[in-house]
Amino acid sequence: MTTRVDLDDVQGNVVKAYARYGLVVARYVFFHVDVPVAGRKFVADIVPLVTLGTPWKDLSKTPRVGTNIGFTYEGLRHLDTPEVTLHGFPEAFSMGMKARREIIGDTGPSLYHRWDPVWNNQDDNKQHVHIMVTIDGKEEKDLDSRYQEIQRILAANPGVSQLVGHRGAGGDNLPYQPAAALLSTKDNLGYPGGKEHFGYSDGITTTFFEGCGEDPNLVIGGGKPTGGDPRTPAGWAPLAAGEFILGHPDEAFEYPEAPGPPLFSRNGTFIAYRKLHQNVGSFHSYLDEEGARFPDGKEALAAKFAGRWRNGAPLVSFPTEESANRFVAELAPLQVKVWTQSATPQEKTRFAELSLQLVAFDYRDDTSGARCPFGSHMRRTNPRSALQFGKTNAFAVPGALSNRRRILRRGLPYGQVDDPTRDDGDHGVIMLIVNADLSRQFEFVQQQWMNYGNDFGLANDPDPLLGNHGTNEGRLGGGRMTIEGDVVTNKPPYFCNHMPTFVETRGGDYFFVPSLTCLRTIALGIIDPT
Amino acid sequence: MANKSGNAYALTVLCPILRGVPSDSPAGNSGQTYTALLRNVLQTLHVNEESPMAKVPNTYLCRFWVLSDVPYQGKPAFLEHLKSDYLVFSSNFHGELEPYLAGMWKALQEDVLAILWHCVGHEAVRDAKSFIEYVKKCQVTTTFFFNGSTDEPLVEQLKNLYLKQEFSRFAFENQGKSASELQEAFRGFVQRTQPTNLDGPTWAPGAYHLDRVEGASK
Amino acid sequence: MSNIAGKAYAMNAVTPMRWYTAWWNRLFFWIAHKRPATTAGLVTLSLIHYARWVIVMPHQFPKLSSDQPQEDVKYAYMIFFSNFNGSWNQYVDSFSSAIPGGLNLFWFGSIKYPKSVPMLPFHRYITSNQIWTDYYYNAYPMASSNDVKSAKKVKDSLLAFIGDSQKAAPEEFMQKYNRLLIDLQHDISQMGPNPVVSLSASAVERNLRKEGVERKELSD
Repeated sequence: MTTRVDLDDVQGNVVKAYARYGLVVARYVFFHVDVPVAGRKFVADIVPLVTLGTPWKDLSKTPRVGTNIGFTYEGLRHLDTPEVTLHGFPEAFSMGMKARREIIGDTGPSLYHRWDPVWNNQDDNKQHVHIMVTIDGKEEKDLDSRYQEIQRILAANPGVSQLVGHRGAGGDNLPYQPAAALLSTKDNLGYPGGKEHFGYSDGITTTFFEGCGEDPNLVIGGGKPTGGDPRTPAGWAPLAAGEFILGHPDEAFEYPEAPGPPLFSRNGTFIAYRKLHQNVGSFHSYLDEEGARFPDGKEALAAKFAGRWRNGAPLVSFPTEESANRFVAELAPLQVKVWTQSATPQEKTRFAELSLQLVAFDYRDDTSGARCPFGSHMRRTNPRSALQFGKTNAFAVPGALSNRRRILRRGLPYGQVDDPTRDDGDHGVIMLIVNADLSRQFEFVQQQWMNYGNDFGLANDPDPLLGNHGTNEGRLGGGRMTIEGDVVTNKPPYFCNHMPTFVETRGGDYFFVPSLTCLRTIALGIIDPT
Repeated sequence: MANKSGNAYALTVLCPILRGVPSDSPAGNSGQTYTALLRNVLQTLHVNEESPMAKVPNTYLCRFWVLSDVPYQGKPAFLEHLKSDYLVFSSNFHGELEPYLAGMWKALQEDVLAILWHCVGHEAVRDAKSFIEYVKKCQVTTTFFFNGSTDEPLVEQLKNLYLKQEFSRFAFENQGKSASELQEAFRGFVQRTQPTNLDGPTWAPGAYHLDRVEGASK
Repeated sequence: MSNIAGKAYAMNAVTPMRWYTAWWNRLFFWIAHKRPATTAGLVTLSLIHYARWVIVMPHQFPKLSSDQPQEDVKYAYMIFFSNFNGSWNQYVDSFSSAIPGGLNLFWFGSIKYPKSVPMLPFHRYITSNQIWTDYYYNAYPMASSNDVKSAKKVKDSLLAFIGDSQKAAPEEFMQKYNRLLIDLQHDISQMGPNPVVSLSASAVERNLRKEGVERKELSD
């Protein structure tokens, strides 16, 4: 019995990574509701613009712009959502992300007083941000045209105000957060490019769940491990839809907890929006210095932090820089041909084979971490079946400790690096994390796997790239990482010390992303949980 | 023997608590039952390295709580009640029961009596021997004990942890040294950390701050 | 009153069962004791310091004086004690997903036990029968169960290395040292305080420090 998800009712940003469809620029706009009636009318006016989750089968006809909407707890309250419904939300959501900072490690360099002003309201500590409208587009002009439509809707609803206070190249008081995929370089894997500011290829794996409407082949590497050969479809099964969409069975064979009435939460979900600043200068200088000492060199060190080479090749399958480069040297031109629709059938087949190698792996042949460190970012965020530690008969299913900790990643980089020797430029990633249960999924991963290491046997070690290594003193910090050696070749482990904090939180909050059905009931003010 | 797993012992004790209100309550506590008074004592005990239990040799982890009644599951389960409250003491420790209890009496005699004052039959407890007898009367057999850790003496566990922490620092700080520098540094490490000396330096029992874990054991 | 002491969480749960079912339950526990494969999942989870199940038959509540009334309960009661790492809310999912069979084996006899999958009814059942710890002591709050086990390996390996390399010349020493590092590479991460698993627990801790609650020496 499989799950059927009505994708017409789910918002598009939940089931689609828009960037894969060529929508590579974005604006994130935030609003405050002063007058509930105006807020509801604003929502009603936005609904016709909202992009649905319906699959885009004809790639030549994909929309040029996508729009979606989400609400904080205070936002829902200001729209007169009934108390009973509000009380049905879990406390992570009702407290909001800022109040959860001790749990998720937004302390020290990530503490809210350094966040963009839009997230800090001087008057009270209640959430000030009520509504998030995200606009994704192919080009700036597509964004701008949709943005102007929204400005007209705003003007027609004077009880709603747009919040300013985003920091960017233009200053401290921008009216929205812009984001854009980085322009391609010859080393990019994707076309036009899936790079981020440290130079890593990003967004390679697609988390695949039942009913998501994506290409079924994406289950390989994107679903949950079955214990079978991970290079083949037999090694993977779709994750339960309820891990990402409320009102559907989840990996524990039940509906995830959700506020009532059922029509309110069904097909909705939660998104954690996080603005993550990247200390580009500290990263490059640490990589240069330590990379000069690291026996296999700087690129290999960068690969050990992430679990993938910066060109995207996974360490566990391509343990040497040479093999990784050879792989991408063949893959990248094929990708360009496929994207520009100039590939021969043979080339298409070869491209498919190679693309699979980016994701179709697990860690069964690397139980000592000699290839991909236990503490690397990728192995922490998506351990696949590695938390069995090789004991394949111990747990009920191979992914028992990771199937309930998966998330969908959406979002884009923002800003650009004008001076790679500096930390203080405007550059980072806008991360949108989709999950049905904020505390079980996002917060758990953030706390136990990003800022701690016990589940990997790594005591208190945080993630090298995203971990909070404390407040940096100059270019030094409190971060450490052991890069495993190899008992077969007698290569000893390598120790990275004094790692500075590379990524800092600069803003964000938790949003409920309702179904279209729910949006209409919010707009009409007719939610009744009686 | 169900109470043991290797050298680790699972002691489970249910001490019946005196019912009602003590007639000889200290001033300011009148009207409170023995149970309430006992809870107050338990909830305000010092914690971490200042815990009284840190003085009881070989205590890995232990806890106190009050069993006030049995939980009702709802119809068709019976509704039933306990006639007394019980002080539940559960301790995981290294070694045999009698030496452990003797060690507890020796380190905490007054504290033990202060707690047992709330319990039935405490008048019988006068010395180590009668304390051990009392505890055995209150002991319930552990049906199944799962040891997910080790079963060494506590002082060894603490010394091991100290060495893990110190060697971790050593490994990170001495990377890249020449062979003779490294050997020299390691000799210094061995001298400083004294790996076979369980008395010190080592982690202090119950200590919970990086600057307070290390020190000679008590 | 806290269930937390550093990295360890103290779970206490009391569940009733029919006295004749209790006999079956004890048999299964005895089998688990004899057959280590039964707890292979728990061992691999690696989160637990020590855990125990204690079945108290109706007549086994200690009675120490004639003034103390005899208990006359009909059910046997199973008391479960665990010391594990992480909070119950965080890790109930891991237990339920990884070892549902084992959990069912241990709790099958408890009245109205709902099985360990789906997770929510199981979570509610245990939580509704959970009794909060009044006082919890942990001899090594900065160490998880993994840390304790790993530390033993470090000590044993260090001592073997010290013995083995005593008379070595520097080059040979270095070789042996590097092999030691490979052997211990997953055992030398540093320990520190627990992440804040619960805001209410850390708030309690802050309150106690702020208000300087009078913590008693028992012998006052």
